[in-house]
Amino acid sequence: MSHNNNSTSANDPRQPSAAKPYVPQPVSPEDLPVDYSGFIAVVFGIAGVMFRYKLSSWLAIIFCAQSLANMKNVENDLKQISMAMMFAIMGLVTNYFGPARPGTRS
Amino acid sequence: MNFSLFHLLFLLSLLITHLSFSRVLADSHFEGFDAEDDETIEEEILDHHSIRSPPVTKSDSHPLTDLETQTEPDPNPVPASDTPSQSDLQKPSATSFEYWDEDEFEGLPVEQPPPEPAKDTENATPNDPDPKTTAKSQDVTVSKKSFTVEIVCGSFLIVFVINYFTGKRENENLALAWAAKFATKGSIFEKNFSLLGVGEGEDSPLLLKEGQTVFKFYASGRRYCQGLLATMELKSRHDLISRLFNLVVPCKDEITFEVYMNDEAMDQVIFAVAKKKAAKGMQKEVRDLQRFAGLVPNPSGRKWVVDELSVISESKEVAGDLITEAVLEQVFGDKAYEKYGKNFISMHFSDQHPGMHRKMLVFKFALPDANNMADMTRLVALVPYYIDLIGRYKLSSQARSKTETARVKAAQEAYKELQNARQEALQRKKAEKKKMLEEAEAKLSAEAVRKREAKERARQMKKGMPKMKMTRAH
Repeated sequence: MSHNNNSTSANDPRQPSAAKPYVPQPVSPEDLPVDYSGFIAVVFGIAGVMFRYKLSSWLAIIFCAQSLANMKNVENDLKQISMAMMFAIMGLVTNYFGPARPGTRS
Repeated sequence: MNFSLFHLLFLLSLLITHLSFSRVLADSHFEGFDAEDDETIEEEILDHHSIRSPPVTKSDSHPLTDLETQTEPDPNPVPASDTPSQSDLQKPSATSFEYWDEDEFEGLPVEQPPPEPAKDTENATPNDPDPKTTAKSQDVTVSKKSFTVEIVCGSFLIVFVINYFTGKRENENLALAWAAKFATKGSIFEKNFSLLGVGEGEDSPLLLKEGQTVFKFYASGRRYCQGLLATMELKSRHDLISRLFNLVVPCKDEITFEVYMNDEAMDQVIFAVAKKKAAKGMQKEVRDLQRFAGLVPNPSGRKWVVDELSVISESKEVAGDLITEAVLEQVFGDKAYEKYGKNFISMHFSDQHPGMHRKMLVFKFALPDANNMADMTRLVALVPYYIDLIGRYKLSSQARSKTETARVKAAQEAYKELQNARQEALQRKKAEKKKMLEEAEAKLSAEAVRKREAKERARQMKKGMPKMKMTRAH
């Protein structure tokens, strides 16, 4: 391939005058991929709080961690993730420090 | 945002304190209940003892109080003070309980010690099974309470955090290895483009990191094209759940080169090469391929690309012109493909590209390991080769006539669609305005309604006039 370059053009293919600086393409917020893990975290968190199910609260924390790891845009995504984290932590707190669930001893 | 966080934290703390309070209250209630139960039980036992041997009553009460204090660790003066008041049960007044409490409580430790050890051993044995059984039942309940959920989830979280950092570093190393091979001094892009990187000036960073899996490389300053943007989309190595998912559903590291061609440099070419299945999908889904081009059958009588690949083009002639000898020899031919073409995914040239920029060349390759970056050299070399080839290529007159008609048709259709869309928007606006007026009318009183009607009549008269004017202009 390199010899092709030489044979077709003895001179440099570069044109410094034609150089354009990089302009990042603006992405509208609707085009962004849906944050599934954040949504699942909220669902599990609410389930954990309402039904007092420990496993559900722990799974909510795990999915919150995944959502945090995949977060691209700090400002936009942090709100939903923090909401999911609140639910998950509240679920854990009520499960461990709250009154015992009827039928089981916490 | 700050206010809502503070609010949430405040509510959370309230919840926690409320729960802890309720627990304390519940416990104290249990305490009182237990004490009362013990009281009644003790009363019966003591009465029994008193019938048998009156002098033993007091001494009997002491070991019982000891056991009581042992089983109930809370320092609650109620149960301890109950027994001396019970020994005074001969005095039947229940209200004297509280009056006697403190005095009796004071006297207790002085009188009790001597009879305690003697009666302790006697009464210890029959009462031993009780604490033992209660202790046993407690042990059993404690051992039943297992921590599997906590251990499993906690360890998963720890592994997740560790994996986040190692995966992040792996992805960064892969991107940097690519840049080191193809974008640094003396590399192919440095020889072809004058401006490399995303910043301004000499020391601009080469790669732009958008998230843990997306890296971008920009180059500009070459003939025939405005610039080149290479986007690396890597596997989600930093996310443990995605990593486990990718064990089941395989995924590849990809790099996509987008070359923005100059308007005057690119002729009317719509051309694509991809693996067979992917090519069929592309031809059906991608708008410009679907409208203008079709799958090109393998021509006989000349060397062509490997069977695994298929070509999409407007005409065989253009396809033949773009699949040159050099390309076949280097990458797409039978021999070369085995060695060098495995990482090729697709390539798509179009002057009617759907999206912002119209005239684009798009190349998609799979990224090899960080150590095997050199495998991709020939594929990357395709990029500047095709920029030059397309930049110089001129269609023959026959081919041009065909392409010209097709594009004119497409442009007309697009224009019609635009017109329709504009008309619909106008009609919608008119309908909305009418609705607004009607609603406003319904609210107003009768006089205002009359006024409105008069105004509308005047408006319609006026409308009647300009209509004629418009038709004249047409």
